[in-house]
Amino acid sequence: MIRKTLLPLALVLMALTGVSGCGLFGGDGDPAADAAREPSADSSARAAQQLPYDVKPLLHPAKKYFGVAVDGAPSSMKPVDAFAKTVGKQPNMVGSYSSWGDGFNAEGAQNVFEDGGLLYVSWEPFKPGLDKIADGSQDSYIKKFAASVRKTDVPVAISFGHEMNGHWYPWGTKDTTPRTFVKAWRHIHDLFQEEGATNVVWVWSPNVVNPVPTVQLKPYWPGDAYVDWVGIVGYWTTTGAHTFDTLYGPTRRQVATFTDKPVLISETAAEPGERRRADVRGLLGGVEENEDVIGFLWFNIPKRADWRIQSSPLALAEFKRLIADDAFGFEVPRS
Amino acid sequence: MTPAERGPQVIPPVPAQLVDQSAPVAPAYRVPTVPEAAWSSVGGPRRTWVSRAILLSVLLFQAALSLRLHNSAFQDEALYLSAGHVQIHHLLYGTPMDKGYASYFSGSPLLYPVLAAAVDAVFGLAGARLLSLFFMLGANTLVYAMTRRIFSERPALAASALYAVLPSTMMLGNFATYDSAAIFLLALAAWIVVRTDRAPLVAVLPAAPVAVLAVGTKYAAGLFLPTLFALAVLIAWPHRGRSSLVRAGWLLIGVAVPIIAVLCYSDVLAGVRKTTTARQHGQDGPVELLWLSAVWGGLMFLTACFGAIAYARRGRMSEAPQAARLGAPGGVWRTLLGLLLCGTALLAPLYQIHLAAAISLNKHVGFGLLFAAPMAGVGLTRLVGAHFRFPQLACVLWVATLCVGLTKSAEWFSSRPDMSQVNALLRQHVTPGAGHYLAETPDVPAYYLRDITKPTQWSSLYYIAYKDAHGTVHQGRDGYRKALADGWFDLVVLDGVAKPDMNPVITEAVRRSGHYRLLATLPYAGNSGSFRIWVKQ
Repeated sequence: MIRKTLLPLALVLMALTGVSGCGLFGGDGDPAADAAREPSADSSARAAQQLPYDVKPLLHPAKKYFGVAVDGAPSSMKPVDAFAKTVGKQPNMVGSYSSWGDGFNAEGAQNVFEDGGLLYVSWEPFKPGLDKIADGSQDSYIKKFAASVRKTDVPVAISFGHEMNGHWYPWGTKDTTPRTFVKAWRHIHDLFQEEGATNVVWVWSPNVVNPVPTVQLKPYWPGDAYVDWVGIVGYWTTTGAHTFDTLYGPTRRQVATFTDKPVLISETAAEPGERRRADVRGLLGGVEENEDVIGFLWFNIPKRADWRIQSSPLALAEFKRLIADDAFGFEVPRS
Repeated sequence: MTPAERGPQVIPPVPAQLVDQSAPVAPAYRVPTVPEAAWSSVGGPRRTWVSRAILLSVLLFQAALSLRLHNSAFQDEALYLSAGHVQIHHLLYGTPMDKGYASYFSGSPLLYPVLAAAVDAVFGLAGARLLSLFFMLGANTLVYAMTRRIFSERPALAASALYAVLPSTMMLGNFATYDSAAIFLLALAAWIVVRTDRAPLVAVLPAAPVAVLAVGTKYAAGLFLPTLFALAVLIAWPHRGRSSLVRAGWLLIGVAVPIIAVLCYSDVLAGVRKTTTARQHGQDGPVELLWLSAVWGGLMFLTACFGAIAYARRGRMSEAPQAARLGAPGGVWRTLLGLLLCGTALLAPLYQIHLAAAISLNKHVGFGLLFAAPMAGVGLTRLVGAHFRFPQLACVLWVATLCVGLTKSAEWFSSRPDMSQVNALLRQHVTPGAGHYLAETPDVPAYYLRDITKPTQWSSLYYIAYKDAHGTVHQGRDGYRKALADGWFDLVVLDGVAKPDMNPVITEAVRRSGHYRLLATLPYAGNSGSFRIWVKQ
């Protein structure tokens, strides 16, 4: 009886093993072995297709970024397309704002990338405070956000706690110390790395130092290992500085004492008025002339002032003329 | 009345014929004489070919079991193949060799690495691994031939079938390192020793260069030389008596002279000491090592022990009628043979217990079991019994060995992360012919990227001597910290497997440096860990 049961069982097991083994003779190909045989052949390309997006080529671009923040984008790209039609060139960076606690707008990031651009997220920690972020009590949210960013696998620029050197935001000089800011920044950065969200371009973006000359930037600097770009927030107002150098120069010179990271004018626009056309010329000219400045992001939203470029025909015409230069805009690499 | 008369009467179905009682009885038919050859223990062409056909099936099965395993090159494979390429370039074009492989390789860098690299150059890693498969198939064929010579076809087939499903056999059949070549050469030497048992004494000498080559291929094979000498005596004893000691003497001289000459006139002694005889002792306990040995070869060893005991008790190897009339070797001889063959299987585990090191034990178990295989074949046939009376036990034993083999070989093969993706990523960031690269397992990318980098451009986490701009040399952890602070390395690759204790040191140094950006975090299969790759900004 035992013999009748065990013998067929053993035979079936043998047959199954044999079939499974022989099935492998067909060869699904070992990509690594293929790569060894022909190191530069298709096998490497096949493996490369599965690699996470590499943002390194985006960090020091040959041409200038041309970014825009418009209402409705990036969840919909229609406002961006309308803006592109207005100024005659497609932006390759789209600004957005995300409050602490919001989920990552993965669909928006994908929309921007499909349009050849890069999503720029200003991550605003209104609550619960940078100390809570730094002490690890917000880790689950950060990890979830990071995982979502990684999963999207498209490039994303993140500016955490922008204008930290000002007193007008809860994470600014009034309620937070530079030490806490740096600690929170590094903590977020490290959690993103642990989650493998390497498709993030980290943008440290203080406000121009002009209105807050007594606040030193260096204490807020997280370190070269934690930052990819220096973003400078600086608007061309009717009462403020009116040249590229007087508006951004003091900040750039101070920043240059502790880092040589590329500079992005990460939030800017020119206030409507008589000088607007000249301000536009100053901005685009300054960006183009300065090699360390890799682009700008135009705030085209009516908020406290009508920053939309189309609200001033003369300024718009100047913008169109200057942005048409080949130095501005390029398609963000697909992989 | 006789008892027959008192018992039941048999009434013939037909009336008895009246015959002439004086005439001789001529039967109406003839019963042919049964030839003893049908029951012969000596065998015939039919049995030979049937056995060979079964052996071929076993070998095909073995090949399938090995070829089912997949992974990118392992560190050892990558190291030996890279070394082989360097040696070939040195031999052919005089390209200077930057690394003294002989000082730390566990086998001669001029033997297997050169052969495997030559195959790799034409057929790639798959070709080099196929070479190992041929070696293992050859070794198993020799196990069959040797066992057949000592015993008969049936134990030979059983030995081969068991050896084919050992985890080490499956694994080494798809693993481009010294081991398979050394096992094949040891098997060949043992077979020559066995095959020449009745030949003139000096006929054993061809085994000597093969044994020397086995030791040269992998120094650890030297552990099994005493077994070869003892086998040379024992196997010839029934035919040659005491003169078989002279036979072993010839073999000893044939092996010892070239080995001593090589040790005296080359630089391999340092490598032998470092990797084999004076290897640094580890931290692994004897219980752990015994358990590991038991898992990787316990079933076959126990079968061999059973075979040895059964053979010592009864020498008859066949149910053929005339086998009982044949003179079987004596009980002492049978016992000694069992002790020798089974005892050899313990050499590698015992030596590694002495070293307290589990490293490569899974492979070395296969070396010893090569010698125990004939006895395991006897054990399996004795379990089956005469006339295939109890095949169940043998089937269960074989299937159990197969299951352990399938599981352990697959486990071991997937114990190292597949580096295909890492290599593809590195290829995008390596500057051909330039740069310095730090990797936890540098031999693998160095092998895959050998067309654009040289082995000397890759540094491991085991040793560094970094000379800074002022000419000061920094070593150890400070060496890595200083080199990373200076941005010396263009790429840094950590996998958390080879040197996990160094990972926090390197990670912290990379972060402090500011020269690097995390390029990617690539999880391994099963998310048991991930590669982290930093690139210089």
